[in-house]
Amino acid sequence: MNTVEGILHGFSVALRPDVLVYCVLGVVMGTFIGVLPGIGAMAAISLLLPLTYYISPEAALVMLGGVYYGAQYGGAVASILLRLPGTPQSAITTLDGYPMARQGRAGVALFASMVSSFCGSMIGIVVLVVLAGWLSRMATRFGAADYAAMMVLGLVAASTIGSRRPAKALAMVVLGLILGSVGTDVNSGVQRLTFGQTQMMDGINLVALAMGLFGVAEIIGNIRNAEREGSPPHVSLRQLLPTRDDLRRMPGAVARGSALGSFFGALPGTGSTISSFLSYALERRIARRPERFGQGAIEGVAGPEAANNSAAISAFVPTLTLGIPGDPIMALMLGALVIHGVQPGPLMLEARPDMFWGLVVSFGIGNLILLVLNLPLIGIWVSMLRIPFRWLYPAIVVFVCLGVYSVRGSSFDIAAVAVIGAIGYLLAMARFNPALLLLGFVLGPLIETNLRRAMLIGRGDPMVFLQRPISAVFVVATVALIAASLWGAWRRFRSRTAA
Amino acid sequence: MKQFNRRALLALGAVMIGTGMAAAQDAWPTEPLRVYVGFPAGSSPDVLARLITEPLSRKLGQPVVVENKPGAGGVIGVQQMLAGKTDYAFGTTINGPLTTSPRLVENVGYDVGKDIAPVALIATSPLVLAMAAEAAPTDIASFIEAARAETGAIAYGSVGQGSGAHLTAELFADAAGIEMLHIPFTSYAEVTTSIIGGEIDAGFMAPSAALPQVQADKMKMLGITSSEPFAQVPDVPVIAGQAGIPDDFRAELWNAFIAPAGTDPAILERLNTEVNAILDDPEVQKKMLAMGWQAQGGTADDLARRIADDTSVWGNVIDRIEAQ
Repeated sequence: MNTVEGILHGFSVALRPDVLVYCVLGVVMGTFIGVLPGIGAMAAISLLLPLTYYISPEAALVMLGGVYYGAQYGGAVASILLRLPGTPQSAITTLDGYPMARQGRAGVALFASMVSSFCGSMIGIVVLVVLAGWLSRMATRFGAADYAAMMVLGLVAASTIGSRRPAKALAMVVLGLILGSVGTDVNSGVQRLTFGQTQMMDGINLVALAMGLFGVAEIIGNIRNAEREGSPPHVSLRQLLPTRDDLRRMPGAVARGSALGSFFGALPGTGSTISSFLSYALERRIARRPERFGQGAIEGVAGPEAANNSAAISAFVPTLTLGIPGDPIMALMLGALVIHGVQPGPLMLEARPDMFWGLVVSFGIGNLILLVLNLPLIGIWVSMLRIPFRWLYPAIVVFVCLGVYSVRGSSFDIAAVAVIGAIGYLLAMARFNPALLLLGFVLGPLIETNLRRAMLIGRGDPMVFLQRPISAVFVVATVALIAASLWGAWRRFRSRTAA
Repeated sequence: MKQFNRRALLALGAVMIGTGMAAAQDAWPTEPLRVYVGFPAGSSPDVLARLITEPLSRKLGQPVVVENKPGAGGVIGVQQMLAGKTDYAFGTTINGPLTTSPRLVENVGYDVGKDIAPVALIATSPLVLAMAAEAAPTDIASFIEAARAETGAIAYGSVGQGSGAHLTAELFADAAGIEMLHIPFTSYAEVTTSIIGGEIDAGFMAPSAALPQVQADKMKMLGITSSEPFAQVPDVPVIAGQAGIPDDFRAELWNAFIAPAGTDPAILERLNTEVNAILDDPEVQKKMLAMGWQAQGGTADDLARRIADDTSVWGNVIDRIEAQ
């Protein structure tokens, strides 16, 4: 079956009434759980899993997939309006989305995030269809050394985003790295920083950390700023429309974000949180006036939102072409297939083309539905800001607790949110950027395990990082980036002392 | 006379136990049961548990709620089961928390011998030794030969320090008199990717993790750790007895139904009977096999023996690893 035949066949599956209904159901549900802070695709998919016993495997996968990428649309809503990320992936969107909302441009920010999400997904689908074979071969070629070198580059590239003080930025990254090292050491089985708590053996819960740092900290902050009460930014319909300047800035950011997202999404174990952070870092690096970032730069919304959506689509590449799930949510979806007796693996594309192409076409349909659904909803979301904070915030805290609990049914994690929230508030008061802490937390364990794994496999020879071509490229790029930063700093220092 | 008395006493005792049992069975269960599972919804221990709890709920006439309490390799599930000591808190668990975790986890918080009442073995799963399709060794003998060529010549992946995959590989290495290089990963998906990518050489893994890659000619299976060929992969030869490996070599993961110690013996008896009846259903057996698990069953004592045996087998392996 060639690509054209495949796509046509896909339409015949995706347009089946039952599949279409479950597709709509999936994306609508995805949008809402994405909007609710803390409750993510993982929780929703676990809950829906038993339901899939009773529907066809195509419909099941299409629905669960819809929840997965639909959540990426919703995630940005609360990030932009309230500085409360709906999902960890959209935490970075708070950096510029929230300032835009404070400037009365909430509608524009939401519009930008929806359109970027849609474009990112569409580009992701094209990449999935055209490059699936190439991406899956690349994914198996990526070894531990390559991952480690790539993540180091990402950490270096992104470690100064959204902060004017390099020392403060670095402090946050390091704190994130330390928090990331909590739990059982994979290589030796030793417990690190768990204080004898079995509950901490698997590390700190990412959702608890993101919700505590951003959500709870923001709420505590706003209790102090009582004057905000009753003065929500006023938004008229006209303000939903982006300016000509906005429209000029968006396409480049969307294209770069989608490229990054498609690439990282296809690599097992990296995922959409990292791609949205890196997209933000990239936009800020190449911007002519980087100081606009953090003040409501539309690229800071468009890039990351395109990135996490295209990553959500290309995450299906290793899952569908190799039968290797890239993250726990994908593993859950594969579980749904196994329940139906469909064996995921390298042969699935040949054995069940209806499954593969039906899903791919449903991605297109689902994203179209999401765009049509979400654009009119923007007005409703914005009107959420008219709800008095004294009603809104308790409700949000309840959702955060529900969401955090749903990850692994642990009341310990709810206590953790409270503690992290208090710490997050202190950090915010001292003007530290919590996004950098999250970055260190996400990248740290990936760098550490892959670095140590690479060293083990290389029998202790650090030259493995330069012998492998992929990793060598990343190492060289990292060195070049550090050199460029130092050179820039030195020149600024010189010009200042000369003047 | 004396003998008669004893017999009468025994008979009386049996009747009393019998009526006691019947009384307990009549009264129990009057409220929903909770079954704690130390792994997330959708994972294979979770699906196994649900294959049992759904029919169990029909048989008992009460809802049986699966409580997923993932973490610490299943230990948290056992801890949570023990936290609420009623006649309605039960658990299903993999072998780790009952055999190796008390050794490997600091403050596990329970004593298997004192705090756990075994109910029944649910299912077992052997592991296969898998390599990339293009790797040179073709069977266990040539694998051992390749490993002997040089210490640590073979790098193998596992799903973590102290995991079943790690301990099985070390048990095998000990039996074969070889030393391999251990590379810990966190999931079979990662191990498989690394083997296919040529980064590591081999790995002991669940047959279902290897099978799709084998069918696509990307991997091959050299041997299996059960004492008899396994129905899911019937062509894979048993490792025991090959190339100098002892005939009694066996390493299996298992999944069992357990209760907190102190649960009414009549309830334990009833549960054992029901779980065995469920495991006798060919439909349940088929579903388990499709996931790579062989339905088992048996008495509570069989399970107790299994726990004791495995604790000593794996304890020895852990001693050896720690000594290194």
